[in-house]
Amino acid sequence: MNTEIRFLQQFETDLTEAAAREAAALPGAASGSGSGYAKGRPRRVPLRERHWGGIAAALVAFVVLAGSIGFLSQHSSQDSSAASAGFTDSGDAVGGVPTDRGATQPKPGTFEQASPAPAPGLDEGGSRAGALTSGGITYDAFDTASGGSGQAALHGASSLPPAQAQGDLSKIVRDGRISVIVPDGKFETSLASVSRVATSLGGFVLTSSTRDQNTGTFTLRIPAKKFDVAMERLRGIGEVQADEVTGEDVTAEFIDQTARLKILLGQRDLLRSLQAKATSSSEILRFAGLIDQTQFEIEKSQGQLRFIKNQVAEATIKVELREQHAPEESPAPTTDNPSLGDAIRLGWEGFLRVVSAVIIGLGYLVPVAAIGLAIWAIVTLVRRRRHAAS
Amino acid sequence: MPDQRTDTELLLASRDEPDAFTELYRRHAEDLLRYFARRTLDPETAAELTAETFAEAFASRQSYTDKGVNGVAWIYGIARHRLGRFFRSGRVDASARRRIGIPERELPPEDYERIEDLIDFAPIRGALSEALETLSPDQRDAMKLRVIDEMGYPEVASRLGCSEANARQRVSRGLRKVALMLQERGMQLTTEVEA
Repeated sequence: MNTEIRFLQQFETDLTEAAAREAAALPGAASGSGSGYAKGRPRRVPLRERHWGGIAAALVAFVVLAGSIGFLSQHSSQDSSAASAGFTDSGDAVGGVPTDRGATQPKPGTFEQASPAPAPGLDEGGSRAGALTSGGITYDAFDTASGGSGQAALHGASSLPPAQAQGDLSKIVRDGRISVIVPDGKFETSLASVSRVATSLGGFVLTSSTRDQNTGTFTLRIPAKKFDVAMERLRGIGEVQADEVTGEDVTAEFIDQTARLKILLGQRDLLRSLQAKATSSSEILRFAGLIDQTQFEIEKSQGQLRFIKNQVAEATIKVELREQHAPEESPAPTTDNPSLGDAIRLGWEGFLRVVSAVIIGLGYLVPVAAIGLAIWAIVTLVRRRRHAAS
Repeated sequence: MPDQRTDTELLLASRDEPDAFTELYRRHAEDLLRYFARRTLDPETAAELTAETFAEAFASRQSYTDKGVNGVAWIYGIARHRLGRFFRSGRVDASARRRIGIPERELPPEDYERIEDLIDFAPIRGALSEALETLSPDQRDAMKLRVIDEMGYPEVASRLGCSEANARQRVSRGLRKVALMLQERGMQLTTEVEA
């Protein structure tokens, strides 16, 4: 180089050395001196740049794979639960008519609201289960506000046959749902059959709603002992599409409520006797207030007990009746006439489903990828070591 | 025997034959140094930028493809980029040299004057004296003696009562500051036609 500048001369020497190192590292060249540094480094840079596209494509493929795996895994788990979900789906499809299930199905904590529900046969059930013998303790359950005497009920309980007392021990609320398909044109007769099942077994039809003379929903109340017979007869009406029987044990609730009532009754008696001994009018008034309050609690408690007994004494069966070719009500009218809001909501839900599928899929893939990466790293390391050693 | 290949051919050949790149360097190093010197006014910076530019070109020579762009124009493209980075940050790093395993080198003392000789101060003297006022007194005095009065470094050093190396450093730092400042004001430091 024709330059007097020593810095440039020095750099030429440095550059020549760097070139020699690279030449030695090039594939095909004899592995030479100073390979340690020049081997990895300069080769890596263009490699990385050139493979950006490849890396991006691999990432996209990875995410897509994760999404597919997530989708498949979700789908298969849905399939397995589809059997149990089937009833609910069909129920919703037919249940376009208001059936007011909330009032007839017992829900914990809603006894107060539900107790005034019309219930013929209540008195019968009430007197039959008038007293409960449990673990040697006899609860007086039905000292009604009208002034029945507690002692009488106590005696009555001990005179009950042991079998009946035993049977009353467990309080189970039973619910049945059945969906029946009948041949075309047989809806009217089937409707009569349903009603006959209820009445012949000492029950009744609580609610009934029909549509287009080919679809109907009914709620039956059947004495608990006849529940299984009723279900069997209902199954015989037509082709059973789905049926479901649930039982809820309310024994503990019943015992608790009975004990509470007993305490309240004792409290009221005590207050009455104290009131009788009161001397000043202000004291008498104060006791009267307390007695009123207790009386209110007693009535509430009795109402709840009555409701439980009612539920236990009579089972609820919900029947869905449909002619074979009756048009099924479209389950989601939003798809027929989608609004912009629905479209956005559906889109958003779909997006969330995709995201969750990807996340689930990543859960499957990440461990596999980590193991693969570790193996790759070890192989590369070993190969590089061997290369450097040779 | 001189290499007959064109710059573009050399650059393409250097992929599999790294030595060909050295030839390219031999042909253009001083031109590039002048290019930097006239724009940065500072020998140290110009030398560093020259080294960095060639190091970067060497490291990424695989990415050069002959699309009708001359091989040297490609290198000057890197140079412009490096220069822009210097004007933004006020410093030159050694990342490209590190990447290909070349150590950083000090500028030898005698090179200062030789590189300054590459700079044609005449067209920018007016702008320079203005910019000088913003420097610290030490740097300003050294630069006035060297650039305006065109004294040699031994004389500058004796006038200021400091060592020659110290005098070079003051001038170098002062020039760098002035160059950065002029660049900020959008002043063209050179009239030469870019390669």
